[in-house]
Parts: sequence; C-alpha cells; structure tokens
Amino acid sequence: MRTKQEYLIRYKDGNLYCELADIWIDPSKPVKKALITHAHFDHFTFGCDEYISTKETAILLKERVGDNIKIKTFEYGEEFKINGINISFHPSGHILGSSQIRFIFAEEKWLISGDFKLQKDQTCKQYEIVKTDYLISECTFGLPIFKWDESKKIAHDISKWITNAPEKTSLLFCYSLGKAQRLLNEISQTNFKGNIYSHGSIHKMNNTYRELGIDIRDTIQIENKKKIDQLKGSLILLPPSLSKGSYLKNFKNIQTAFASGWMSIRALRKRSGYDKGFAISDHADWDGILEVVKKSEAKNVFFHHGDSEALSKYLVEKESINVLLFGK
Amino acid sequence: MSLKKFSELFGDLDSINSTNNKIEVLKNYFLSNDPIDNSWAIYLLTGKSIKRFISGRYLKNLFSQIYEYPQWLIDTCYLKVGDSAEVITLLLKNKTTAKDKKLSNISLNELLSETIPALSKLNKEEKNLEIKNLWETLPEDNHLIFNKILTGTFRVGVSIGLITKSISKLINIEEEIISHRLMGDFKPSIDSYEFLINKNINLQELNSKPFPFLLANTIEDKIFKNSINDFQFEWKYDGIRMQLIKRSGNVSLWTRGQELVNESFPELVEKMSHIKDDFVLDGELLVWNFKEQIAFDFSLLQKRINRKSPTRSIQLKYPIIFIAYDLLEINGRDIREVKLENRRIELEKYFSKWQNNIENNISDTFKICDLIFPKDWPDALTYKEKSRENNTEGLIIKKKSSIYSSGRKKGIWWKYKVDPMQLDAVLIYAKGGSGRRAGLYTDYSFALWKDKELIKFASAYSGLTNMEIKELDKWIRKNTIEKFGPVRSLKPEMVFEISFEKIQISNRHKSGIAVRFPRITKWRKDKKINDADSLENAYELMKKIS
Repeated sequence: MRTKQEYLIRYKDGNLYCELADIWIDPSKPVKKALITHAHFDHFTFGCDEYISTKETAILLKERVGDNIKIKTFEYGEEFKINGINISFHPSGHILGSSQIRFIFAEEKWLISGDFKLQKDQTCKQYEIVKTDYLISECTFGLPIFKWDESKKIAHDISKWITNAPEKTSLLFCYSLGKAQRLLNEISQTNFKGNIYSHGSIHKMNNTYRELGIDIRDTIQIENKKKIDQLKGSLILLPPSLSKGSYLKNFKNIQTAFASGWMSIRALRKRSGYDKGFAISDHADWDGILEVVKKSEAKNVFFHHGDSEALSKYLVEKESINVLLFGK
Repeated sequence: MSLKKFSELFGDLDSINSTNNKIEVLKNYFLSNDPIDNSWAIYLLTGKSIKRFISGRYLKNLFSQIYEYPQWLIDTCYLKVGDSAEVITLLLKNKTTAKDKKLSNISLNELLSETIPALSKLNKEEKNLEIKNLWETLPEDNHLIFNKILTGTFRVGVSIGLITKSISKLINIEEEIISHRLMGDFKPSIDSYEFLINKNINLQELNSKPFPFLLANTIEDKIFKNSINDFQFEWKYDGIRMQLIKRSGNVSLWTRGQELVNESFPELVEKMSHIKDDFVLDGELLVWNFKEQIAFDFSLLQKRINRKSPTRSIQLKYPIIFIAYDLLEINGRDIREVKLENRRIELEKYFSKWQNNIENNISDTFKICDLIFPKDWPDALTYKEKSRENNTEGLIIKKKSSIYSSGRKKGIWWKYKVDPMQLDAVLIYAKGGSGRRAGLYTDYSFALWKDKELIKFASAYSGLTNMEIKELDKWIRKNTIEKFGPVRSLKPEMVFEISFEKIQISNRHKSGIAVRFPRITKWRKDKKINDADSLENAYELMKKIS
C-alpha cells in the first residue's frame, strides 16, 4: 500500500490538493489555482489567483460575488491538461453547474464526487456515473436512516401545508441557491396556485437560473412593508439566516418551515424551532452514496464532509470495498 | 376511517406549536372520523397508552434479524435519532418494498382492538413473522404510529386539557363539564364517545365544577413595610394544589390544571363522602409522614399521581393527606367574598365539627393547615429558613382582609420561598441525550475538588438554554479526552453553578454526598476551575442546614 504522500490527491491543511498539478479543490483559503465544484459559499473563498469551473458555476459565482474574479470555464466532459494530468468536469446533480471532477494520470483515475445527488431535479443536469479507480466522496447523510422521498411528494406536502392555512403567511426557509429553485420548479407543478414571494438573495438566483434556460416559476421579490392581507395564503421563500432575529417581525400570523434533509429526524425537527420540516435534500442519501460507490467501480474509497465511520465500516464488512482514511 | 388519518393527526399535533391550532386540528379530526376511532384517539392522546407489547430493544433486534442488518449500524442510527420506534420506521423506508403485496387499509380501531391483541396470542416465531407482515402491508405513513404503539412509547404533546378544550369547542359546552365526563376509566367505545359529546348536561355534572384558583405572587420588598398582624402565615407545601368539592353528596377532586383526579385518590374520596355537610375546600394533597407529621418528598407523591385505582398496598405505602387552607363554599353558600380571617374561623369551626364525628375518623386523610405566628418580619425570615426541616418550600403569606378572587392577583397572597442551595462545580463527563435531545451531548456530570482531585458529585441535564446546549455540545466534541460508549470524559475547564434542593450523606457515592434535584443555574464562564467549590464546602453547607 502506498503512503498518503504518494496519492495523486490528498488532504493538505484541511483541503483537497493535487500536488502534481499544484491545484486545490474547493479550498477554504486563498491559493494560486482552485477547481470549484459548485457555487455554494462553503466551497468558495475569495482571493485565489485563478478559479476553474463549469460555465454555469462561473456565472452563478459572478452573480453572487461580482465580476472581480478570474474564472476559466470548461464544458462538462471537456478534458483539459495541467502538468500532464487530464482533468474534466462531470454533472453531479447537486445544483445548477455542480460537478464531479475526474483526474487521469498515468492511467490511474481519480474522481472527486463534489456534493451530489441522484434524485431527479429539473433545475440541473442529472448525476453522471463516472468510472474510477479512486473515489473521494462526500458523505453528509451517511446513515441508512436517510432515505429521501420523491421530491414530487414533498412538493405536494408543501402545497398542502400552505393551502391548509389560508389565513396565514407561509414562510419556507431554504438555501437561496439550488434548493430554492428546485422547490419553485416542483411547487409550480402542484395544486398550489397562490402567490409566491422570494427574498432578494433568492430572487437574484432565480433570475440567473432563468437566464441559463431553467424553467422557474415567477416570484415576486419581497419588500419589507407589504400589506399583510396581501400576503395571506401565499408562500414566501427565505434564506435560513433570516429565521432568527427581528426579520420575522415584518410579518403577522405566520407559519414557518425548513426544507432540509436533516428534517427527516424528529428530534432535529423539534430542535430546529421551525413549525414544520420538509425532508428534501440536494445531497445523496445512504442508498445514493452506496450506488455511486458501486457503480463507479472504485477499488479505493475516501470519504469527506460528514461522519463516515458507520458507512466505511459497512462498506468494508458488507461490500468488501477498501475504504481508506485521509490524514486531515 | 383509516389509520392514515390518525398518523396525519399525530404529525400535525407534533409540528404545530400554537395551542389554538392544535385545538382546531383536533376538532376537525373528531368531526371527520367515526365515533369508535375518535374514542381510541382520545384514549391514546390522553396518555392512557396501551401496555408495552415489545421493548425497543426487541424491535431493533427483530429488524436486524429479518433484514440481516448489522446491530451496530442500528445502534449508530439510534444515537442520532434517540427513539427506537423512529429508527426502525426510518430504516423500514429502505426495506419495505410492498409493491407485490396489497396494502392494508385498517382503521385505528382495528389496529388496537383486533390486530395487536391478536399478536399477543401468537408464539414468538409467529409473532415475529406477523410483525414483519404488518410492516410490509401497512402503508409507510403508519409505521411510526404502529412501532410506537408496539413499544408502548406513543406520546404526543397534547394534554388532557387540550382534548377537553377541543371537545368543548366541538359541542359548545363548558370545559369543566367535559373534564368531568373524561374522568374515570375512559374505555374506548362508541358509547363512551357519544357520552362525551352529548349536548345535554345533567345536574350532577354542573355540580362538580371547581372555582378558579387564587394564586400567590413572589414576595416583593414592599410587603415588609406592612404590619405583620395584617397577614396570615402558612407553610408552603410542595404537593398538588387542589379543590376538594362535595356537593349533593358527590365528591370531586380537582387539580389546578383542571384535572379531575378522584380515581388516583379513592381513599380520600371515600372518607370525605361520609361528611354530612356540602363544601368546597382549597388545599394541598401530599404524601404524609404521619409519625413525624411532615410531608414526604414530592417524588413519593409522583408514585400516586398517575396511578389510577391504586391497590390497598400502594395506598398504605404512600399514605396521602389533604391539607385544607381555605373554605370557599359551605352547604351551598359561596363565601369567597368573605374576608380570609373570617373564612378561617369558619374552616376551623367546621373542621372540629367533622373531627368530632366519632363514626368517621377523618384525621388519617384530612386536616387543616397549621398557622404560623411570627412576631415580626425578621422572625418570619427565621421561620422561612427553617422550612427545610419540615420539608416545605417556605412560607405563604396571605392578607387577612382579602377575599378569594381568581388568578394571580397582586397583593393578596405571597410566596416566600427558601433559596436553593448552590455550589460551583466542574464539568467532567457528558453523555448523549435521547428523544428531543438526540445527537447532542446534554447529560452532564459535575465534580468538586478534594485536595487536587476532582470528584464527581452530581449529574444534571436541565437548566441550559438551547443556544447554550448547542455551544456546549460543540465544546464537548472538541475537548473530549476519552470515549466510553455514549459517554465522553472531558478536559476540566468549564465551571457551572449547580442548584439543588437537599444535600445529605450517602455512602453510595464516591463523593460521600447526594443532592436532590440538581440543575444548572448558570454557566460560570467567568470562573476558572480553581474557583470551583470543594467537597469540604459541600460538607459545610450540609452542616449549616441540619
């Protein structure tokens, strides 16, 4: 077995790093060259000399942080070379533009899954199965208690939740990029036909999605002093950061909910402080992770993001897959 | 009606915070379901849960066996979820491919009166097979309810008061009447539900209603400016506040929470029914130490509260007494507008009359409260400090000239509670919580100094805010020295103020002391571990009190 220094990709200062190409993947601090899997802020940091991503990720990032960054873009599946290493992006199904990144060097294949899901999502490209020798996978929901319902069912539940409370304003908290657009797309296919408002941060992303050709229902940007009876019976999408503090005082007679995979557990739902939780996630559930591990045909697997102890043990014991540990 | 409706009701009640909305949801449920299902719903929601059929452990083992699932994986999941029935429900989502089987659409009534009783007639193997079959044929939405009923862990945040309110709204009849109807051995049946929603009130129902309770306020300094002679002083007992009502020969025992508890205390009801007069008494129910004439701890009373129809041996083991403070009505005459000092005279007069009735010795279940007569306010303080000796919480101070009004009206009754005992201790162990606190470290152990060693002296899990719990959880994960199963030993760094009610010698503990009701009252971030108290301080505290 090789030592970790010899791996093509390893952990360095808490980030994924390819020494041969001197390139970092979603680094959390400024570096020379950074590959970005997708446009969520926990995968992006300011101050890198150069970013490389898919076209959609680049557009979303610039919309969020401004034009002041240097991004080189590639299409899905398009190979490019850095120091003799072949690198390519492949759809990961997490949000619009999100990608897995494959490295090929001396006939050895490495795949970084990025954040991914297998579930259907009409607002981004479906996860692509990519064969590899080494797989570095996320493992946010790495326990078998996580099993997602079809998003259609969740959208139906949300629609029912709103229409059952016609006197109230329904505030649905969700991440402004990705989750919000997926929800909008799904909700527009339900019986709920009332008004949908969205917070500025979400509204901006909606517009960008639409410009990139994604079918998103129109929403009204929420202004602080909307008349209360105008909001009765309607849905308002807000980022989770606004759930605490004084922002909610702008509304009267509300019910609140949070859309997140963690909401499948009653204790977490109760503790979250929201009235209701909808278990919908843009990450893979247990079965999703297992499927990707198997179909990738990887002989060696690493996990990062999340508690991977149980998943690793399961793969070793039940599936005889070699799970390796990164030194963080 | 299908079980699905009840599952939905459970989901709704579980996610709604507002009381009014819960009442609305309940009302709608009752409106749209069969009387028999409604009566089962009431039976379950009021906590009259069915006997545990199998344990949570059994449920987990069975799942592991049937689906060849590693036990350790189920246990890991349990740590995250904190409830066996829920873990198995979530894991079943992966396993029940019921596509080839026809889903059963049984009702709540069928589940509870047929399916589950039938299970208990089977041998172990048949039983396991049948549970598997039910898992595979019950629609997924019903698994949680089914597993919870199997394991006897069905609980939802609904009080009997809420059920009472929703029925009361449903048929537009006063809550007290519904309370009275819900009293007793509520057997799920069409008849019992129809009786509950009957719009005709009979006279006896009207007769059992209690008066609104008068409540005491926490003492304020300004009271000390008044003459001590303006007030009546009583011990503040730590029991259950109640109104004991006897009208037209019928006795009803009401808690402050509008619960009728006749069945928990049959010996009292029986005794009081022999008294010739009709009356309404305000007082406190306690488990009483007749030898020393003081109350036993509240924990003993808890052994009686939730037990309906206690056996004779339970009655003897935990002997109760009703201590009357006040007389509110006598032989149909409402005397709440009479001054307290005069009501007291009436109370004493009638009590001695009842006591002198030789055929009926009431003194083994009923007395009136003793009064205390402090000379001045400093003397009152001395009494208050002595209250631990007779197991009371302090003093109740009542204005002699006051009438019995309702609610927490200012300036009539005051409570003067003895201060809790406190020590500053160091956090040394943490354990994962269960239920609502699953996945967080919420059970803590605290230590005091003995020379240069920290000795564990108490465990506590209440007192921190949710924000503090989250913050401490993060700290715990970063500062773990060692893991022993669910327990982590921690770097001694955090100091907390621990309050408790009682401190006594105990040879069961390494520290040599035991404290009662320990709870966290402050996170002393301002203190270093060297500032924490020592066992010696604890011993001194004990000496000071005894």
